[in-house]
Amino acid sequence: MTAIDQTIGRRSVVIEESDAAEGLRDGMTIAVGGFINAGHPMALIRQLVRSGVKDLTLVGAASSGMEVDMLIATGCVKTLISPYVGAEGLAPIGPAFRKAAQDGSIDLFELDEAHFYAGLRAAAQRLPFNPWRAGLGTSYPEVNPRLKTFRDPINDEPLVAVPAIEIDVALLHAAISDTYGNVQHVGTGFGDRAIHAAADRTIVQVEQIVSNEQIRANPAATSVPGADAIVRVPYGAHPFASHGYYPADDQHIVEYVNAATSWLKTGSRSQLDEYLDRYLREPADHIEYLERVGVRQVLSLSEYR
Amino acid sequence: MTVSTTDIKQAGALDAPPTPLEIMATVIANDLEDGQWVEVGANLPVPRAGALLAHLTHGPNMTVMLAMTKAYLRDVPVIEEFAFITDVAATRWAEAYYPHDRLLSDMRFRRRGVFFAGGIQIDRFGNSNLIGIGSDPRKLTFRGPGGIGTCNATLQNGRYHLVTTSHSRRVLVERCDYISAVGYGDGTPDFRARNGLDPQGPASIITPLCVFDFDPDTHTARVKSVHPGVTLDDVREQTGFEIQASDDVPVTPAPTPEQLELLRTRIDVTGALR
Repeated sequence: MTAIDQTIGRRSVVIEESDAAEGLRDGMTIAVGGFINAGHPMALIRQLVRSGVKDLTLVGAASSGMEVDMLIATGCVKTLISPYVGAEGLAPIGPAFRKAAQDGSIDLFELDEAHFYAGLRAAAQRLPFNPWRAGLGTSYPEVNPRLKTFRDPINDEPLVAVPAIEIDVALLHAAISDTYGNVQHVGTGFGDRAIHAAADRTIVQVEQIVSNEQIRANPAATSVPGADAIVRVPYGAHPFASHGYYPADDQHIVEYVNAATSWLKTGSRSQLDEYLDRYLREPADHIEYLERVGVRQVLSLSEYR
Repeated sequence: MTVSTTDIKQAGALDAPPTPLEIMATVIANDLEDGQWVEVGANLPVPRAGALLAHLTHGPNMTVMLAMTKAYLRDVPVIEEFAFITDVAATRWAEAYYPHDRLLSDMRFRRRGVFFAGGIQIDRFGNSNLIGIGSDPRKLTFRGPGGIGTCNATLQNGRYHLVTTSHSRRVLVERCDYISAVGYGDGTPDFRARNGLDPQGPASIITPLCVFDFDPDTHTARVKSVHPGVTLDDVREQTGFEIQASDDVPVTPAPTPEQLELLRTRIDVTGALR
């Protein structure tokens, strides 16, 4: 029997929070997962902001929330690909998104949620585009000339070609992972699987790192089988919900919305910059961020009351 | 949930006449059929209430999508209203999850789906706009939320309605500045066929004043019924396009006592429609 080479071993992909932004460069296409008021990788987003990278093509979720609005507010976004930016009842339209769109300071890749996934699917399949039926007769191809109409070669029907949305780095938030990057979400996982499939590299922040045995107890729940890097950040999605752990912190989201709305309404950035400094730029790490939010505030969040 | 059905009954709220939003929800419920598939979104109280009302009264085989889960809610005494589509508490009735990427890829089953779309503008040909207002798309004077999924959902579902809680000249316009969900386009007879679309555009526009349907020949919105207490002049006054209506336009059926009780004691206990 051949002896197994004990000098090589299975590699842990767990990294330090402070190393998460390594490899992010100006002009990259960066995606952030989650959905409106839940599941956004906020600790990774703060690392991204602190790294100072700029001119990004930002791929938000199919419906993105104030995490995208905050990134627009920091000025690092050149092009945005997201069919919605808002916080439902807390902010029907993201205020910084609205401000930047109305000023013409960001390039909007206008598209429907179904186009969004068609573009991710094309990237995952290494195709230049995916065809889609919806969009003809609307303003989408006119407002966004990157969506092309064509006649399909099989039935000669008019269709829309959605170009591949190729992602350099995807940043996701999930419930658990083992040290090998086998990630499991609690709940539906929103569109995170599709974002991962379209990305060259995926970094996932998780609430907990668990044993490989725990993952193997329910392998059907593994949503990202093989993240490139895992960062452990309990309460890492705050102020957004993390299913199975805590709901959205409405009060904190409103604090941001008010700060960004002040920029939209008055043109003055002072209240907005105060928020961005306090919660995104200044905290040295996730723990300092949570300290600024306050232990009482964070631990008071409960999914079922 | 802190409000009990007893509280509502004791408060005498059941005796109050139906509100315009309750009438809208009833219009939606009466249009839905058992076996259909319908989304109950967050922050859209009228379509939510209409779908749940149909589910409770005549829709035991309807599929209700709640917070991206497949749910059966007829046995739930009081159906809580959730502020966010991502509220984990709304997933407790899940018989299945609809991961969002799969939901937006699996289109074949949507033939039995019914969808409700809103708009910052809705025009006389049933087109709607969530993109924004202004002549330069790169510098809009008002940036809307974005089309979300309405472009696709209005095309893929077997039936759809336009719903607005604001019947005004600002919303109901002659022509949308941009079209995020297409109805009958420019109204020309072959518009939908030319663009590879099924013949059927929106079934109706449901507002707090009336219900419009579409003339099969001109594809123009026409008043199908006015809600109780509303006159055609009221509608004409508040609509930004010239309305078509017959002088003997019927009155929208008000909710029955049974429908009103279900709305107020099981579906809309917190009174979003009142």
